[in-house]
Amino acid sequence: MILYIDTSSSYLYTGIVENGKIVVEIKKEYNHELSKTALPEIVSMFEDNAIEPKEINKIIVVNGPGSFTGIRIGITIAKVYAWSLKVPITTITSLEAMAMSSINDMIRVAIIDARREYCYASIIDQKDNFILKPVYIKYEELKEKLKDIGEYKIITNDKEKVPISASKWESYNPDIAEIVAKFKNKKEVNPHAINPNYLKLTEAEESKQSC
Amino acid sequence: MKEKKDMYILGIESSCDETSASIVKNGTEEIATVISSQIDIHKDYGGVVPEIASRHHVKNITIVLEECLEKAKMTMDDVDAIAITYGPGLIGSLLIGLEAAKTLAFLYKKPLIPVHHIAGHIYANSLIRPFKFPLLALVVSGGHTELIEMTDHYKFQKLGGTLDDAIGECYDKVARVIGLEYPGGPKLDKLAKLGKKTYKLPTPLNDDSYNFSFSGLKSAVINLAHNEEQRGNKLNKEDLAASFQSVAVGSVISKTKKAIQDKNIKYLIVAGGVAANQVLRHEIEKLGEEMNIEVAIPPMKYCTDNATMIAAAGYYAYLDGRTADLTLNSTSSAVLR
Repeated sequence: MILYIDTSSSYLYTGIVENGKIVVEIKKEYNHELSKTALPEIVSMFEDNAIEPKEINKIIVVNGPGSFTGIRIGITIAKVYAWSLKVPITTITSLEAMAMSSINDMIRVAIIDARREYCYASIIDQKDNFILKPVYIKYEELKEKLKDIGEYKIITNDKEKVPISASKWESYNPDIAEIVAKFKNKKEVNPHAINPNYLKLTEAEESKQSC
Repeated sequence: MKEKKDMYILGIESSCDETSASIVKNGTEEIATVISSQIDIHKDYGGVVPEIASRHHVKNITIVLEECLEKAKMTMDDVDAIAITYGPGLIGSLLIGLEAAKTLAFLYKKPLIPVHHIAGHIYANSLIRPFKFPLLALVVSGGHTELIEMTDHYKFQKLGGTLDDAIGECYDKVARVIGLEYPGGPKLDKLAKLGKKTYKLPTPLNDDSYNFSFSGLKSAVINLAHNEEQRGNKLNKEDLAASFQSVAVGSVISKTKKAIQDKNIKYLIVAGGVAANQVLRHEIEKLGEEMNIEVAIPPMKYCTDNATMIAAAGYYAYLDGRTADLTLNSTSSAVLR
């Protein structure tokens, strides 16, 4: 059984997948209460389906980019789980999860708004290869990169904030079974080495660098 | 006498810039402790940067837990309960310890015990010797300056606290004025040893309450340094440190003395990071002799933030029936009850 955890946005996306099928999943918007509710929600999946923590033999956790605090909550739960019960664990980015949830009929551009004219973005082709790896980028710059790409669709939950045009728009509602299928064989990582993928320095570090 | 089963508590602390895990037996015996300090990281910024602190906690948490269990030669199955600092502190930092503790409580079906950070500092003393009630706890740290009366285990009554800056915060700010690197409090303490009390500074909040105020004293030092500079006088840093320290510690001692007299206290404990201050330690010991009461000051290693004190407090919290379910949340401004 595979446990999937994504707390990188204002939604909690979590599920347990067995033999390619969803056993249970939770997709829930939360209001500043993620630290309180994330674990009880995850626990409810186990309890409601009489699953023991030891029955999980792989964890896939989203390591960002997105809400710094949100990512840390999911990562902490996942790495403590993987470390203490010795469960193989792997990480994926939120942008990959977004792209993989969408049919690969054209080039997919996953975008998360990051305010102040910036976003987190990734471009993935029909064969699931990166054209642009997940990056913190100015909308203007992303626009430049999309110029010669031809037809593409944008997957985002921040449509009203994205100043870019596209042939097709999709909002993101993760297909957890599909994401798990795509990444279940991804190489496992030492739980101690698992860290959020912020893609962005802290403001203190940024201002220190510019000094 | 019926034999009581030993209780091993895993404590986790991440309220500021130290990630720590510890196993304590029966609230009194330290089995193993690991502390990962970020002090060298934050030094470059002149203080703790909350987002950087949070990032380091999540990076370190499982390593600290593993080292602690290895050091104790124990597994999670040997642990009877998990005690966690739920507040007060930096919210992003607190959350890492909290999520780790909650996850372990779920995976191993162990009781989860929420511990107030200040209760932890107070119970650092129970690792040295048993409490005697009623006792008075003087809590002095970077975030707190409080007088707390305890009539029994986990029965806290706050008598007074700071109305503005905490004493440790004031120390660090004054240290910065003198030109000492963060964290300047301990360096100021050292420097003061070389100086004399030649500068005149105002006595803070000399009233009938058990409250403290350090912002006026801080401003007075800043103004004094500024004025001396304007006049072209060279500031005698050692003397300023000694003068400041004498007034700051004097204020703490006088309010503590008042509480001891009013509440007929027989046992005084000091807790928190500033309990490492040499002048304060000396003056507290003198006060104990003068008032003929027992005084407990924790050894240096228990003065700064650590999970040992959280595991110790967790034991008494558990005996008091204070456990939480997995909806437990962190809070930056928890009231000690």
